[in-house]
Formats: sequence, C-alpha cells, structure tokens
Amino acid sequence: MSVPVSQMWTVISYVAKQKLRGRKRYPLVLMLEPLFRCNLACAGCGKIQYPGHILRKHLSVEQCLRAVDECGTPMVSIPGGEPLMYPDIGRLVKALVARKKYVYLCTNAILLEQKLDEGLFEPSKYLTFSVHMDGLREDHDEAVCRDGVYDQAVAAIRAAVRRGFRVTTNTTLFEGADAFRMRNFFDEMMDLGVEGMMLSPGYSYSKAPDQEHFLRRQRTHQLFSNMLNKPKTRWKFNQSPLFLQFLMGKQDFECTPWGNPTYNIFGWQKPCYLLQEGYAETFQELMDMTAWDRYGRRSGNEKCRDCMVHCGYEATAVDHTFSSARGFRDAVIATVTGKL
Amino acid sequence: MDETLEGWSADTRDPEHRAEVIDHAFDYRGDVTIVLDDSTERVGYVFNRNRDVPDPYLEMFDSAGGPPIMIPYASVRAVRFTGRDTAAGNSYVAWLERKAAAKSSARDA
Repeated sequence: MSVPVSQMWTVISYVAKQKLRGRKRYPLVLMLEPLFRCNLACAGCGKIQYPGHILRKHLSVEQCLRAVDECGTPMVSIPGGEPLMYPDIGRLVKALVARKKYVYLCTNAILLEQKLDEGLFEPSKYLTFSVHMDGLREDHDEAVCRDGVYDQAVAAIRAAVRRGFRVTTNTTLFEGADAFRMRNFFDEMMDLGVEGMMLSPGYSYSKAPDQEHFLRRQRTHQLFSNMLNKPKTRWKFNQSPLFLQFLMGKQDFECTPWGNPTYNIFGWQKPCYLLQEGYAETFQELMDMTAWDRYGRRSGNEKCRDCMVHCGYEATAVDHTFSSARGFRDAVIATVTGKL
Repeated sequence: MDETLEGWSADTRDPEHRAEVIDHAFDYRGDVTIVLDDSTERVGYVFNRNRDVPDPYLEMFDSAGGPPIMIPYASVRAVRFTGRDTAAGNSYVAWLERKAAAKSSARDA
C-alpha cells in the first residue's frame, strides 16, 4: 500500500474513536460533488445527464464546508462532474487542507496543467490529485469517448509529480478489460511516478449510456484475480489491500452504503454514491431516515446484486481491518509483503 | 436506454396514479412541467420526492433559476415530460459507430 503513514494514522485513530463511541454506522470518506458539469461524456458515467440549468448550478464553498463539518470524515473525495471546472476549486481545497482533511481531487486532468500553471494549488500531504485513467491509451480514450485524453492526462500527471504534488490514478474496469493489458498499464502508471493506483469495477448506472459493458460479480473475481495475481512489488495501490482481495474473491464482504456519503446540489444523496433514491437535508437525517437494510447484496435489492464498487466496500474493508484479529492480520500481511 | 418518457403527459388527479407518475418524474433526466390545481404551471427538474410523510411533497429546481421549490403531491393535477431526456439516445454503440465512421473517413481522405 502507498498511503502515507500520517494518513494511515489519521484513519486508524478516526476508526478507533468511532468504535470506542460504539457507533455502528459511521462515514469514512465524504463524496463531495460541487457540480455535475463535465468536459467529457464517458460511456459508463451516470453522473452528468441533466438539463443545462442543473449543469450550470454548483455548490458554494460555504455549503461544501458545512457538509464537511456535518459528517466529520477524515477524508474528502471531490468527484463531480469535473471538479477543475468548479470556479472556486482553489478556495475550497485550501479551506479543506486548512481543516487537515485528506482531499482526493478526482479529475480527468484535461485542465490540470492549466490550473497548476495558474498557481491554484500548493503541494501538501493533504492534497492528492486522483487522475481518472481507465487503461492504456486506446482503452482509456475509448472509455472516455474522446481521442487524445490519455496523452493529456499523462502530461498533466508528469507536471503535477514534477511540482511535488501527490498524484494517484483511479481506474474503473468494465467488461472486456484485458488482465494482461492492465498489468502493462500498472507498469506504465508507476513509471510516471504516481504515488499509487486505485481500482474499482464500474457500476451499472441506470442512466449511463453504456449498459452492456458492466462487470458481473463472477467476472469481476476472475478479472481481478488474473490482473493482481503475483503483483509486482513496484505496483502500489492507494487503497485497502482487503478491498483488492475482495475484488479477487478472497474476502466476502457486505456493502457499507453509509461509508461514503454523497453531498451535492440536491442535498445528501440516499442511500449511497451510486443510487439516487432521494435526498436528505442534513447528514443526520440521511443517517437516521434511510432504510439501510434495503441495500447491500444480502438485502436482495437487485440494484446492489452485482455492485462491488469501492464506495460501498472499501469502508467495509477498513472496518473489517479494525473489527477482528483476522482482518487486522490479513491487512498487515498484505501491506508488509505486498501479496494479495 | 433509448426508451424515454419524453413527450408523455399524465393526468394525476387519482392519488395512486399520481405517486407513480411523480416517481417517474423523479427518475426522469430532463425537465418536466407540473400543472397545479390552480392551473399554474411550473417547469423544471424534479430532484426529490418524499411520500413517507403525512403530506407527501416533491422538490424541483425551476428551469428559470432560483432556490428549490417544494410542491405538495395533493396540488399536482398533471405532469408533462416536456424537456429533453438527457439520458436517452446517447448510446455507447452509437459512439463506437461514430468513431469507426471518423476513422474510415480519415483513411479515405
């Protein structure tokens, strides 16, 4: 794992506090979507299909910070839309860093070099650019439905690394992904000097244009087993090793839908980052009024059946690490040896 | 994915049917026109609804702008799916076809 010790310690102490307080349900990462507007229209994305007047809206920095304070997670992920299109992104990131939140700014990197040149961000252990990269050049450009984006992202990653920023990649995998090509992709990303990589199977958004290429559960196990079999020691993953083992079929986890609560212009999204079944006005209302037992694989909910996405299961993996001796042992072994 | 409610109009005076239509409006990725009891019309995007409360309501952003507005179910007389369905007609297959066509025309040029 490539997560810095200070970040790991922050997460460990946060989880320990939740356990000591006896909180059965606690959030781990806030998914803060300041806007839905994007400069790409990827085939697997269900986040941007809205009328123009909705795409033109965005949260104020104050609304964002209120949400951050309300839910109190140690980590804040800023997806979207494309967060670099958010007019106040510099001010928002600065305020989050001042609050000592570990920020993952999820970007397609098309605007990254420009924003770095404008001096919008300063390197910090609290700020990571998490660059969307779905595979080698051809695979990535196909996934984002535009040629040339891979090369733009590579140039931006190099520029950010050169300036001393923390940079990770985030990769969503779909049906048809080739394990051998992905292993080459991991080499290529590590060559760029990224701190680590994040992987997840895609979720079959009902509003996404492409419905035919989402992975089913068995196929996910197969793909991730082939891809991560005997992982090279130079590959670093910026996520829980137990989550990767889950994707490989070596761990059996249930979803933690409250683990990555989502806040956007509509409010607190019920129940999770992927499903949109309504909105709560406050974080407390989200936690208290959502019928959590209707979600997750064991609930029998058809929408959750094949979902193995990080926003539902990474929080489970982290909780499992600190809930049982076996979980802790498995996580330590995987972290120390790099074996999955 | 190319199935769409775009252009559909539904009378919602029957409370049972009304809840179902409002669920469709909530799920629709385009603007709708809500016709109220007093015959006024609100055009906008329905982003939330709650029927688990004594007085069910929907919430929408008016297409003309402004903060969200709340409308009680009881005052909704009809719903028209008037805005373009932004989730329809934009299939991955269509993109692959466009890409193949572009490649082929580049080769021919």
